[in-house]
Amino acid sequence: VFAALRLRIIERVGRWARKRQGDEVAPLVLRARRLYILPTRAGYAAALLLLVMLIAGLNYTNSLALLLTFVLAGFVLVGMHECQRTLQGLELLRAQPEDCFAGRDGVLEMRFANGARHARRALTVRAAPERATSFDIAAGAQLSVSLTHRCASRGRHRVGRLELASTAPFGLFRCWTWLHLSLEVIVYPHPVGSRPLPQTSAGRATILASHISSGEDEWASLRAYQQGDSPRSIAWKTVARGGPFMVGQYAGAVGHDYQLSFAGLESLDLEGRLSQLCVWVEDCARIGAACALSLPGVAIPLGRGTAHRQALLRALALYGSTAA
Amino acid sequence: VSDLGAGRASTGLAVAALLTTAAVNWHHLAWWCLPLLVLASAWHARAAMRGHAQPGRAARIGLAGIITCGVLLSYRTLNGLSAGATLLAAMTAVKLFEARSLRDWRVINGATLFLLLAACLDRQQIWRLPIYALCLWLSAASLRGLAGGAPLPATTLLRESARQLLYAVPLALVLFLFFPRLPGAFWALPVEGDAITGLSDEMAPGEIARLVESDEPALRVRFAGALPPARERYWRGPVLHDFDGATWRRHRSAAASSTALEPRGPAYHYTTTIEANTHSTVIALEMTGPPAPAGVTYTDDFQLLLRRPQIQAQSYELTAYPLALRQTLLTTAERDIDLALPPNRNPRTRELATRLRAANSDDAAYVGAVLNFFKQGGFEYTLTPQRLGHNAIDDLLFSTRQGFCGHYASAFVNLMRAGGVPARVVTGYQGGEWNPIGHYLMVRQSDAHAWAEVWLPARGWLRADPTAVVAPQRLSRESLALEDDIGGAGERLRGGARWVAAVLQTWDAVNFWWQDTVVGFNASRQLKLADWLGFGDRDWQTLAVALGAGMAGWLLWIAWSLRRLARASPPDALARAWRRVDRRLARSGQPRAAHEGVLAYCERLALTDAALATVVLPLARQYARLRFGPPAEAGELRAFVRAARRFTRSSSS
Repeated sequence: VFAALRLRIIERVGRWARKRQGDEVAPLVLRARRLYILPTRAGYAAALLLLVMLIAGLNYTNSLALLLTFVLAGFVLVGMHECQRTLQGLELLRAQPEDCFAGRDGVLEMRFANGARHARRALTVRAAPERATSFDIAAGAQLSVSLTHRCASRGRHRVGRLELASTAPFGLFRCWTWLHLSLEVIVYPHPVGSRPLPQTSAGRATILASHISSGEDEWASLRAYQQGDSPRSIAWKTVARGGPFMVGQYAGAVGHDYQLSFAGLESLDLEGRLSQLCVWVEDCARIGAACALSLPGVAIPLGRGTAHRQALLRALALYGSTAA
Repeated sequence: VSDLGAGRASTGLAVAALLTTAAVNWHHLAWWCLPLLVLASAWHARAAMRGHAQPGRAARIGLAGIITCGVLLSYRTLNGLSAGATLLAAMTAVKLFEARSLRDWRVINGATLFLLLAACLDRQQIWRLPIYALCLWLSAASLRGLAGGAPLPATTLLRESARQLLYAVPLALVLFLFFPRLPGAFWALPVEGDAITGLSDEMAPGEIARLVESDEPALRVRFAGALPPARERYWRGPVLHDFDGATWRRHRSAAASSTALEPRGPAYHYTTTIEANTHSTVIALEMTGPPAPAGVTYTDDFQLLLRRPQIQAQSYELTAYPLALRQTLLTTAERDIDLALPPNRNPRTRELATRLRAANSDDAAYVGAVLNFFKQGGFEYTLTPQRLGHNAIDDLLFSTRQGFCGHYASAFVNLMRAGGVPARVVTGYQGGEWNPIGHYLMVRQSDAHAWAEVWLPARGWLRADPTAVVAPQRLSRESLALEDDIGGAGERLRGGARWVAAVLQTWDAVNFWWQDTVVGFNASRQLKLADWLGFGDRDWQTLAVALGAGMAGWLLWIAWSLRRLARASPPDALARAWRRVDRRLARSGQPRAAHEGVLAYCERLALTDAALATVVLPLARQYARLRFGPPAEAGELRAFVRAARRFTRSSSS
């Protein structure tokens, strides 16, 4: 009951802060108006300790015990101010989320600047309770921080409220602020699908033949396996030697063009098809092949390269949404 | 998530703070407590270095059980300051075995601060203050390392915590002065008698000899006006009525009737500051009259009895009338108490009393005769007399003839009672050493004394000191000290240099100031302070106003000084010079964008204005070199500033 009540209060306060602060755009400087501070659990324990010390000092009319208690109380209060000062005046220069795949973690890049003459320590930025990044910024320094967040489903999403907090200098207080940055993140479909790439204009057989003949020896580099990678691109030799699961990458463009569409994927539902297309786009990017995408209402011509890949994946991400 | 664990510097500081704090508590911790802590710390240090496993849960619980038993064995209780401090210190040692998270280390620091509180409650001497401050500093520094951020080096922690503590001091002073104090205690700490030297509730032979060897202060007295003459400096403590043949004990403590003491002669107003004691008596100059201070009962045998034992130094304002007439009428019950003697003991003493009494029918004459017996009897004053047997008084008076004040007072009262004169033993102190620096009289435990009081019809109770007759030099020591201000302390050092005595007395004066002003600051002093601040009779309101104003002022001060620190560093000469250039260029219509660096900006300008480019581009390159390049000579910076100024002036004109 208590936890539920606490959650409701937090939610209510959060809504109030949202209304109060409005939408925000980086760069911004954290002002005292938007900073909130409360004792931590350890802070309440410290208050209890001080109270007991105070009572002992008063009861025994012991001046030295009282002096100790009062110095400690002052120490804690100075710490409270320092805690607030850790955030006050901190500058958020930039916050840019990267596109991400559904079901995987997205990365949000943030750059902070500390113009003050003191270091800012024990800072934590988080998008969700369990996703936090901790960092310290030296006096007069700038720092880039990447924060991971969960990309749940395909489409255009907003990164929710970010919380920037600090427990400096000694963890008895926690000062925090909420950032409502209205950042948009494009979430690509969940890249799962085991079907082979569709036949190309140049003929599927050749591709496969070249794959088979060249095998693993033709890969230019290996990278760690990610969920959704085609089993065909796994470096099984490495696995057989007891190594980790690695995925092979081809060096240059193979020189085949792929027409990617829903054709041949009728047995799957919409998300399944999009997922499969997503895997194909990634496969093409990996082998450096040019590909084109045609979906109902969407047509992207042949191309290759990072920008092209992003355009294709974004088209998949936004397929069916009003914004697309 | 943000829990990176406690840094090594922080844990090291926590252990150092714990050990130091335990060390300042050593006098009342059990003997095994400090070794256990040292062992646990060593174990922790080894574990931190090599990273070996921590003991299991069962082992820790077992250890905690053993420690509890150990405390019970050492103290027979878990209650009380010493037992509590030992238990806390030992349990913290166990905690060291399992300390891992930030929380564990916070708990250890909390325990350290609590141990420090125990030390403060127990001992308040001024020389301990720097050690207490050190403990606090170490612990504060450790706490600063427990914020959850990246580990910080010990020097940073120490420096920053020192600054934080210094900021806290003004608030501590405001709270110390104005936070409302309680006039008395809700509950009392059990007193651990053996830790305190001083008079006690009873007197057995040898008791006072032990005290005489102690140089510790018993009380310090400050007089408002003249000092009483040296021979009147009898400091009255517990009055003993009951004698069982070996030990004198107190009898009762009924409150005095208002007519018991009739003031006569000069009055001496004084403030006495009495060290912690177990006899629950305010040691007062004879004869201090009523009214008794708050919390004290004035009894019919002229003692000032405390309702509770005094666990720390305390001051009382009193007035004494050395020539006062006391209790000219004695009830039969009172008379019987002060005539009682243990049956079947000391037959020769009784015989002597009967003989002397037969020759002196007048009470006063009898007292004189007995004193004369002590004077003529060849008695020797010594602190190491021979052992006395079952008939202790007989042995003293007729065979050993050796003893000190306690023996003579006891024998004298026996003779008085055997002769039918009501008499009793008074214990306390005699004399005192004048401190010319602090202007007070210092009475040490070594000034402990015992004398007698006899009751004579119409004259009431009178002091009779047989020791003064046996060994006049025992009492004349103080008058010598009076003639030469610092001779007293010099004599104590047995021929030490005068400057040593002066240093000792200055040190004692500092101690007394500390004891009197800081340690002795209590509710009544606080009300006096409020009075002095001048809101008349509304004492508590004055305190509240002063407290509020002080705290508000402190908070503003803290906010202001921290803000000053937080402000961005002021622009240097280079930045100031470029700012002028920037402003000048902005006036020409193309201000620098927020994202643009100086070089990029000037290159952009150069695209549109070739004439400007020839001036501005070299300037921008010079700026970039000075700002980001290797350290330049001061001359280069000056040259740049001059060039920048030339540019701004030329193009603005």
